Amino acid sequence: MLRVLAQNADLVIFLFLTGLGYTAGSIAERRHYRSISRREAELLHLPVVTFKNPYPEESVRSGVMMMGSVVISIDYFKRLLAILRNIFGGRVTSYETLVDRARREAVLRLKEAARQKGCDMVVNLRLETSTIGQSANSRNSVGCVEVLAYGTAIALRRL
Amino acid sequence: MYVTNIETIPGKTIVEHFGLVQGSTVRAKHIGRDLMAGLKNLVGGELKGYTELLSESRDEALQRMIREAKAMGANAVVNVRFATSSVAQGAAELFAYGTAVRVE
Amino acid sequence: MKFTPRPLSENVNVSKTHPLAELAWMLGGLALILLVFYLLVGQAVEVVAERLPAGAERWLGRQALKNFAVAENPELDRRLQTLLAALPVDSPLRRRDFQVWVAATDEINAVALPGECIVVFRGLLEAVASENELDMVLAHELGHFAHRDQLKGLGRGLVATFLTMTLFGNDSSAAGLVASLTLSFDARYSQRQEAAADAWGLDLLVARYGHAGGAVDFFARLSRRDDAPRLAYLRASHPHPEDRIRNLERRIAERQYRFETVVPLDSTRLLAEPPRP
Repeated sequence: MLRVLAQNADLVIFLFLTGLGYTAGSIAERRHYRSISRREAELLHLPVVTFKNPYPEESVRSGVMMMGSVVISIDYFKRLLAILRNIFGGRVTSYETLVDRARREAVLRLKEAARQKGCDMVVNLRLETSTIGQSANSRNSVGCVEVLAYGTAIALRRL
Repeated sequence: MYVTNIETIPGKTIVEHFGLVQGSTVRAKHIGRDLMAGLKNLVGGELKGYTELLSESRDEALQRMIREAKAMGANAVVNVRFATSSVAQGAAELFAYGTAVRVE
Repeated sequence: MKFTPRPLSENVNVSKTHPLAELAWMLGGLALILLVFYLLVGQAVEVVAERLPAGAERWLGRQALKNFAVAENPELDRRLQTLLAALPVDSPLRRRDFQVWVAATDEINAVALPGECIVVFRGLLEAVASENELDMVLAHELGHFAHRDQLKGLGRGLVATFLTMTLFGNDSSAAGLVASLTLSFDARYSQRQEAAADAWGLDLLVARYGHAGGAVDFFARLSRRDDAPRLAYLRASHPHPEDRIRNLERRIAERQYRFETVVPLDSTRLLAEPPRP
């Protein structure tokens, strides 16, 4: 039995890594989503918008550009699904959660930075996504996604 | 549902806003498109297959964003921005984000 | 401007399909596509094998021959011609010009290559103990030619592996997985070919010597030496020696072949160094 395993070592390793990716990956993902939901509920009162200043000049006390960024990597199982998708085409659902988590996390970090400085709102938000490092598009490596959220955090005069 | 990438809807006023809305989708090409693109690589020119694929995906991302805005009770999304990036071998992520507002 | 925070309950950006269900669907679809492809390619290979002109086949054989460090062996050649002379008069093999080469490795094996080339490995020459055994091996290889196996062997597994390599990259795990799967399928197919060649070779041996002595001796010795578990033979290209012995003995019983003493092999001339060209 052990000899059969040893002869098919690469297959066994592949299956093991896939299983590990699936279990550990879904646990990590669920935990991250819980944290995201909790923090989004806390920071719901601090709006983030994409338009420029909706308030007249006089009522704005200060405006400081702030950023929030995060890099999240995928697990082996998601990568397998993405490779199979490459044959059939269509939506890569395994990556959807990845980029969704990354974007929400980046916006949350931006909001947290704004709240720390005592700001009331973040305007002119922009989001940038990229895949960093040579691991992005090469065949043998696991990919990762970097999201940067930046905007101007304004503090309003208390009237 | 009004969708625009300027700050306001011309002729209307924004009454309240609900914050950021975002829609994204990750799409992969399939083998058929890949082969055609590989052939096109020899002669150059527009890769119609990929253009179609990406604009369909962009539509889907936009639809998702609009669905989120509707769920918030908005009737317009202003200052919409698009972004494309490649997140995996042969797959591109498209997302659209904007601010959900109610106009009257 | 008024701000009203609205918490969202539904995440529009994530699809609701379960990843394992998706994996199952895609793997199933992939398996189906590979199966259809495999069958189609198998049919195409057989059609080509039927119709390949002799010149093209010889060219293929010469290319394959380059993989081995071969030398001529006039003693082996003589034995082959004697064996061929024992064929029935109307056999299509009589019209073909067979050549036999010896490859200088210690592996115990012999292969039939396109273009009427037989390559016997030196290890096998050293392992056979009687003339009958050696002729059984040669007759087995001639059996492959009689069934036109030499081209089909190159067929499906290679094409499937080549395709996977182009799709997924040379050293990806997917290529390795497909290669081992298709090669093991091919192994079952070629195990049938091997059994058929065994049966044909047995008939030729009896035609040459008048009895079936020595037919199973070689495999019996091999199976005693070999301690690999039966499972390994699932993926090997030859059947397990015990299975081969059983099939041969069954055929001997069916055809009521006799057993008589075998002729011991004088291997000095056989293993002599070939004369320098």
